[in-house]
Amino acid sequence: MLFGRKLRFFLVCADRDRVAFFQGLWPPDQVEWTVFQRGPMALEQVFNAPPDLLLVDDDLPQLSGPTLVNMVKSENVYRQLPVVLCLIEENPLEDMDFHAVEMDDFLVYPLSPLEARSRLSLTLHRASRELDANPLTKLPGNTSIIQRIQDLIDRKEPFALAYVDLDHFKSFNDKYGFSRGDEVLMMAARVIVNTIRSFAGKLTFVGHVGGDDFVFILPPDTVESACQRIVESFDGIVPHFYDQDDQERGYILSTDRKGAMQRFSMMSVSIAVVFNTDGRLKHFGEASQIAMNLKKKAKSIPGSSYVLDRRQE
Amino acid sequence: MSEDLRTERKGQLLAVKDLPTLPVVLEEVSKLLEDPNSSTQQIAKLISRDQVLSAKVLKMVNSPIYGFPGRISTIQHALVLLGFNVIKGLIISTSVFELMTTSMVGLWEHSVGCAMACNAIAREAGFKEPEEYAVAGLLHDLGKVIVALQLPTAKEEIDAVVRQEDVLYLDAEKKVLGFGHDRINAWVADHWNLPVNLKIGISGHHRPVTAQHYPKMACVVHVGDVLIRTLEVGSGGDDLVPRLDPEALALLQLDMSQLDKVLDVMLEEIEGDGLSMGLG
Repeated sequence: MLFGRKLRFFLVCADRDRVAFFQGLWPPDQVEWTVFQRGPMALEQVFNAPPDLLLVDDDLPQLSGPTLVNMVKSENVYRQLPVVLCLIEENPLEDMDFHAVEMDDFLVYPLSPLEARSRLSLTLHRASRELDANPLTKLPGNTSIIQRIQDLIDRKEPFALAYVDLDHFKSFNDKYGFSRGDEVLMMAARVIVNTIRSFAGKLTFVGHVGGDDFVFILPPDTVESACQRIVESFDGIVPHFYDQDDQERGYILSTDRKGAMQRFSMMSVSIAVVFNTDGRLKHFGEASQIAMNLKKKAKSIPGSSYVLDRRQE
Repeated sequence: MSEDLRTERKGQLLAVKDLPTLPVVLEEVSKLLEDPNSSTQQIAKLISRDQVLSAKVLKMVNSPIYGFPGRISTIQHALVLLGFNVIKGLIISTSVFELMTTSMVGLWEHSVGCAMACNAIAREAGFKEPEEYAVAGLLHDLGKVIVALQLPTAKEEIDAVVRQEDVLYLDAEKKVLGFGHDRINAWVADHWNLPVNLKIGISGHHRPVTAQHYPKMACVVHVGDVLIRTLEVGSGGDDLVPRLDPEALALLQLDMSQLDKVLDVMLEEIEGDGLSMGLG
């Protein structure tokens, strides 16, 4: 299996032999091929129901392969669809402007089945890795986070899920600008990743929900000391991201939501931890709901803090 | 000296790729890294006793790759942010000094001693984060190591001038190179995106009161350098003690009795803890 589910591939190709070649690569219960002899027809289908992978021959009548590729890729909603251009011989590579044609990979006929299978499978996996990574921290994003948690719930694996967010991040961003804000997010990501990594084990996971929100997963018995270490490291490091005078004062002056000048404390972390023990969680949504309520509690405590959901006891 | 020659030498010095360090230190750090029970604090403490490893760690954590250049000035924080994998990689890619001359060993001891002194002074002066001052003390002579590596002939000439004319190493450097290790430290600090306070500490310790920002950093390193030379721990490359700038003491609001206290603390630490992990 390529991905643990049946995949839909589109092939735009007018040559019967090549179509047969691709259709023979995987058994039909793994990959379902939809073949188009002309570009325009494929385009409408791609826009309406994007496949998992799109293969396009370079030498198509009417609409050329590269034009088709660019029409798909220029739309942000389809940008993540992996597209492979199939070239007839190596010569066209000489004239290929890789900056202008937004394909994800290319194949050159003639091809061995093994190479074709491997290359397409690599393209798919690469796309799925890149798809969900946070562009700033490169940590896995929401899709991967939800998948990971739901998977653990389904397998009834005990785990602790922690939601981390930064207090007073917005006022810092407002005063110092977003690039200084990004520095803080990079720092927070490194602190969390390295702390979690020091608790070796296959259960560990760190994701970046977005903005100043992170999650991590650990075995239930190690999560509290991880929280302590994150709090300690973050509190020690974060003052260095302020200007010297703010650092000495211990707070910053910035405008609040109503536009009035106000004092804001130094940034701190709030962590809310939900446990899944004895298979009590049934769905990812439950976990995040409990966590959001706990987070309010953690945020109401001044300075860095963590709150553990003790209901399992 | 001509501007061209200075630029050429600056380029040669900044091109330094592999700063080698002492075999003992590398061995000890590797051992700790292999042991799953060792803590970040333990490893940070050990790395903090080696100017080359410390410089490498700070260079890496302040590089733009990590996304916060110029922010991190202590080894403990650097280790938390880099993680053990990167530290292991750094250790693997660090070579040892093949030719460890007596003078280089002396410089190592002098640097570690200066770090201790700066820590004690910063604590006595009541400053937050004495560790940052210790790091500046540790790295204050890094420029001398870089010259020894990149311009070995110049290094021999400097040594000769020190012997023949009995002058400060700094003055001999200026005579031979046209600039001193303090200037090299400033170049390196910029080149490696080190935080401004560290830059001031390692580049301003010979003229501390003139530093515009963070003058206290420069003053602490200045006083620390003088004290550790007075105690004759290790060697800064010459046998002279630089003149203690009274203005530096005034800026730190320290008096002589407090300096005595600092000296006591240092002597105790040197006796209790040993200086250089069995180097000398």
